[in-house]
Amino acid sequence: MHIPDGFLDVKTAATAAVVSAAAVGVALRQARLRLGPRSVPLMGLAAAFVFAAQMLNFPVAGGTSGHMVGSVLTAVLLGPSAAVIVISTVLIVQAMVFADGGVMALGANIFNMALIGAVGGWAVYRLVCRVFSGLRGQVLAAAFAAWCAIVAGAVACAAELAISATVQWRIVLPAMAGVHMLIGFGEALMTALILASIAKVRRDLLDRQTASASASYRELAVYGLLISLGLAVFASPLASKWPDGLDRAAQTLGFEGKALAEPVVASPVPDYRMPGVGSPAVATSIAGGAGTVAAFGLAWGLARALVPRKRPAFTETPAAG
Amino acid sequence: MRHDFLDRYSRIDSPVHRLPAAIKLLAALAAVLATVAAPPSMPWLMAPTAIFLLAAAAVSRLPWRFLAVRMLTLEPLVCGVAAMALFQPGGWRLMLILVAKCSLCLFAVVLLSNTTAFSDLLRVLKAVRVPGLLVTTMALAYRYLFVLVDEAQRMKRARLSRTFVSGRAGAWRAAATVIGQLFARATERAERIYAAMCARGWR
Amino acid sequence: MTTSTSARFSPDGVPTPALEVRDLHFRYADGQGAHAPQVGRADHAEALRGVSFSIADGEAVALIGPNGAGKSTLLLHLNGLLPEARGERCCVYVQGKAVAPENLREIRRQVGLLFQDPNDQLFCPTVFEDVAFGPEQLGLSPAEVRARVAESLSVVGLAGFEQRAPHHLSVGQKRRVCLAGVLACKPSILVLDEPTSNLDPRTRREVRRLLGGIAITKLIATHDLEFAVQLCPRVIVLDQGVIVAQGPTPELLADEDLMLRHGLERPHILDHVLLDGQWGHPRRPVGKSR
Repeated sequence: MHIPDGFLDVKTAATAAVVSAAAVGVALRQARLRLGPRSVPLMGLAAAFVFAAQMLNFPVAGGTSGHMVGSVLTAVLLGPSAAVIVISTVLIVQAMVFADGGVMALGANIFNMALIGAVGGWAVYRLVCRVFSGLRGQVLAAAFAAWCAIVAGAVACAAELAISATVQWRIVLPAMAGVHMLIGFGEALMTALILASIAKVRRDLLDRQTASASASYRELAVYGLLISLGLAVFASPLASKWPDGLDRAAQTLGFEGKALAEPVVASPVPDYRMPGVGSPAVATSIAGGAGTVAAFGLAWGLARALVPRKRPAFTETPAAG
Repeated sequence: MRHDFLDRYSRIDSPVHRLPAAIKLLAALAAVLATVAAPPSMPWLMAPTAIFLLAAAAVSRLPWRFLAVRMLTLEPLVCGVAAMALFQPGGWRLMLILVAKCSLCLFAVVLLSNTTAFSDLLRVLKAVRVPGLLVTTMALAYRYLFVLVDEAQRMKRARLSRTFVSGRAGAWRAAATVIGQLFARATERAERIYAAMCARGWR
Repeated sequence: MTTSTSARFSPDGVPTPALEVRDLHFRYADGQGAHAPQVGRADHAEALRGVSFSIADGEAVALIGPNGAGKSTLLLHLNGLLPEARGERCCVYVQGKAVAPENLREIRRQVGLLFQDPNDQLFCPTVFEDVAFGPEQLGLSPAEVRARVAESLSVVGLAGFEQRAPHHLSVGQKRRVCLAGVLACKPSILVLDEPTSNLDPRTRREVRRLLGGIAITKLIATHDLEFAVQLCPRVIVLDQGVIVAQGPTPELLADEDLMLRHGLERPHILDHVLLDGQWGHPRRPVGKSR
């Protein structure tokens, strides 16, 4: 889901960059307060961990292999603010060193994967945890949240691509959302497996962060605000009808004679109606709903399978490593 | 070490390598901006940027084959996303423009990362007041990602040595266990690093 | 390079020991202690049970014992990394000063602690930055920092390595960089945790030569008994958190009973005692009868 450079236009990239910078700023302050000086090496290593985890492939259908993203996993293990910093770090290093994801598109990638992915996913996680308690609840919540994070991030990505007039909304949304619903299942599965594995050996790592949940509602509110702000700006009719500065220059200078360019430069979301209102939209909603239910069911099944009902009372902390 | 190839050429000598990191970073960003800002109706605006980058590549003494390989490994994703542009009027042309834009931006970053040591880039970021915590996190991430990747590899090999039944479920479980272990080890290592930092007077 | 370890004297003329530990007890807290070695030990067991010893200025002492004896735990107390919770009575004295929260900075400058895994200690992107870390934290000027880095790197034989990245270095080079990083702070005591583990014989000899050439108080925790014999005239044997013996190295290590009882063994180098009493390169050929 790393958007390379060239797919987003300047205004979208800039908007996303501003919102993401603000969010990272908030996260930095919060992480320092919450975790203290220990947070510095912890977050650095967590970022290295996410890198290494992303390099571990597992087979997917037909000879291809996939890897996980890990934003919800990080958020569950370290808290939302630390996760924002960790994922942002990973994205920045990936962009600057590995050329994986664009440098200008960093703002958008951070918005999609760190903000919507990690923070949004974490919010879903905590919500579901309130309903289902215990370790099973945690695994279920995390798996479902992971799926949601992937899909939500993909939808945001699609929106950004459409707003940039790179691809049309009615094409990019089903394509991105559809593919990522499937990818999301993989992510949910891996997240559940990993959490169950960590719970078996180092239960304290899982519980460490849950204890400090109450103080984070204000954090969440701030992030929620930033996410909404970003979405509002992206989706606002103004943004979509606003041609690029250069394009305007081209128009006035009379260069834009190419009829081919017209359908793309014009607003992809005409009059702020979802294009294709009617059966395609309904179909999309049904597909989305079905996917969500399926993801929840998968998460449930995983939690049941991976976490035994009766946990033996631990008389001593199990040795790790 | 297979991950060595990323750093292999960042410390060779050439006029480009000798330039201060800030200039290279700015040049790369400018190249990317110029490419992205070129509207689809005037693709030839990308030409000067392309020429500049190719010239820089030539002066930097980076082996062309290496550059080509780097670019090729990154292209499939670009083409995949760009393929979506096909489904609209004028699709072929748009897709080609997209691919060209992407490739040019990629090239700029590949050049940057291979002519500049990462620690120099970090120093530039620090100089422009990027928050210290973020820069330190990036420095530590860069320093230890190779260490953790090696650890993960060792664990994977150890696991494979005792795996006699192959299957998708097994592979997923194995990967998950390795990742879980990796996290536990990463947190423990973070504690040790914290101790090492304190031992040398870190506040 | 010599560090000025001007021996201190207490009012009654007795030289202050460089390092003194008095009746040190330590128990790991519930769950995982921050630096708890992940060995399967039950909680609440005492890791150190009344450890007392002292080291004079300029002495080189080896700390040996089986796995889980508490060597690493003890070393972590010497610069105040343990105990984490303050408010316990102080048991460690460095140059006569008690290790307490107020003077931790100075203690950590004076006690140069080298950890077992050089990867944990080499956390900066380049060698220069890593060796400069300590001096920078001490607040030295950039020029002074550069001078210290250059000096330390030349002492360990890595002059010119300033711009190298740590992940490009061999294990031996990493260890030497770590040593340089610690030496750059001009400590008065060097505390080393397994400095020769994972090293090939040649690198081990280099490390031995290097450490032998630095005239500074040393406490070396090691499994490498040969190394202990060659470098440290005095040895402390630790087992299950208690000091079971301390004394001259050749004597203690020659006591096979003692060694075997505490999970160690009599090193073969004792068969190669040199006539002039100097330890080092054996002159008697290997295989000669005792």
